[in-house]
Amino acid sequence: MSTASSLHHSRKRKNSVMMVLCVVAAGIGLAWLALILGALIYKGLSGLSLAVFTEMTPPPGDAGGLLNAIYGSVVMTVIGVVVGTPIGVLAGTYMAEYGRFSRLTTIVRFINDILLSAPSIIIGLFVYELMVRPMGHFSAIAGAVALAILVIPVVVRTTEDMLNLVPNALREAGTAIGAPRWVVIRSVAYRAALSGIVTGILLSIARISGETAPLLFTALNNQFWSSNLNAPMASLPVTIFQFALSPYEEWQQLAWTGALIITLTVLGLSIFARSLTGRREDR
Amino acid sequence: MKPMLSTELNTPDAVVDKAKIEVKNLNFYYGQSKALKDISLSLPERSVTAFIGPSGCGKSTLLRVFNRIYELYPKQTADGQVLLDGQNILDRSQDLNLLRTKIGMVFQKPTPFPMSIYENIAFGVRLYEKLSKAEMDGRVEQALKRAALWTEVKDKLNASGLSLSGGQQQRLCIARTVAVKPEVILLDEPASALDPLSTAKIEELIDELQADYTIVIVTHNMQQAARVSRQTAFMYLGELIEFDRTEKIFTSPREKRTQDYITGRFG
Repeated sequence: MSTASSLHHSRKRKNSVMMVLCVVAAGIGLAWLALILGALIYKGLSGLSLAVFTEMTPPPGDAGGLLNAIYGSVVMTVIGVVVGTPIGVLAGTYMAEYGRFSRLTTIVRFINDILLSAPSIIIGLFVYELMVRPMGHFSAIAGAVALAILVIPVVVRTTEDMLNLVPNALREAGTAIGAPRWVVIRSVAYRAALSGIVTGILLSIARISGETAPLLFTALNNQFWSSNLNAPMASLPVTIFQFALSPYEEWQQLAWTGALIITLTVLGLSIFARSLTGRREDR
Repeated sequence: MKPMLSTELNTPDAVVDKAKIEVKNLNFYYGQSKALKDISLSLPERSVTAFIGPSGCGKSTLLRVFNRIYELYPKQTADGQVLLDGQNILDRSQDLNLLRTKIGMVFQKPTPFPMSIYENIAFGVRLYEKLSKAEMDGRVEQALKRAALWTEVKDKLNASGLSLSGGQQQRLCIARTVAVKPEVILLDEPASALDPLSTAKIEELIDELQADYTIVIVTHNMQQAARVSRQTAFMYLGELIEFDRTEKIFTSPREKRTQDYITGRFG
């Protein structure tokens, strides 16, 4: 009786101690996020004005905006996603559907995981060697290719995972009704996994929209408006990098504002992605 | 008992109808392990045949040979013959998709496609037939009526198939199977995930469908086999132990193992 009760008490004590440790750990993790967001909002919000979205990046000491950088980021991100998504989705489809039991799938998955965790600066250097050097100059298209290479492994992984979550019974049902394999994949498996696959694409956008390193070696930067894909192009992350390191106050302010814009965009995308998967779980 | 000794016994004597499916010396393998051993039997047209036996006896495996659904998985192989109207469907030249339009299948767990109730049925029809909107509407209605689901869903055909209850989902799957006008319907424990009321509905449905279709049902539930089928095959450890008219199997089986199983001594 007393042993049982003392055992009970010591367990309760251990439980409280462990819980406090867990809460503290969670708190520390969250605190950094809160501090970063707080600093960004505090420093960035004051610089947020219409001019940011309508004017070009200024020369040192002048007022201006981030229009060319935002435009460049959007263009290169869109091209990167448009190029990388089909490759990623098709590769993921091969791995989860056609090649489910094949050795190639195991190999591709292994390599894809390495690519997934490869430092993005390596990707930048790779594209530099692949495109920038042969072409003789930096270009937006090289930047977009570098981003596409970052998109592919994320999309491959989520597509494969999401398709693997589709119950085999559903594939069997589609097959049993006489549907050829590609119809089963297109009309049944994709449909069942749609929100997950879209989430993966959104997360890949979130990932590349903040990437600086791969763009430094490829698209470089551009002080002026340029929509020429064959020429250097500005982007938010590289502009932030350059402006934040500068001694000019206007530039530093713009860097904070740009950082706030990227963060809010990524946050928005993540919340949207979350809401998509959340809705799926509700069903 | 060696099934080969009793080829004539493998055609139930009371059943003189034409055979729809004839299985001859069928073996089935999961990789190296043999799951079906030299099965021979003949399923009469337009009647219900039940496969019973303990878990792992091969009854579902046998069912899955009839539409070759096992081919989705590598390492599953069959040899021997399965004749559908005299044509060997295990032949390499057999077009699998066409075979599956002739032999429909309903699974243990309801598997509505992630689309509307209407689309769940139209999906299969559209694969092999070009129908006008009106014809398709008619076909969907007919199939849902056939599956005794029409009155429950006629006002919400655009709702997701997943919004239905388990029993309704299973009837939707039957409707979907019937809609493509198969000749044979395979039912793999169609009621084992359902409550008694839904089960009764499914059984009623099976009874009605046998006027037009050859039906094969795998079931764990012996009472269900006794209620719905005209002939019953008892399987054990990959062998066909006994195949006869249902009432004979349940009242005076020839084999001791059948007797033991149906009286609940094992299984």
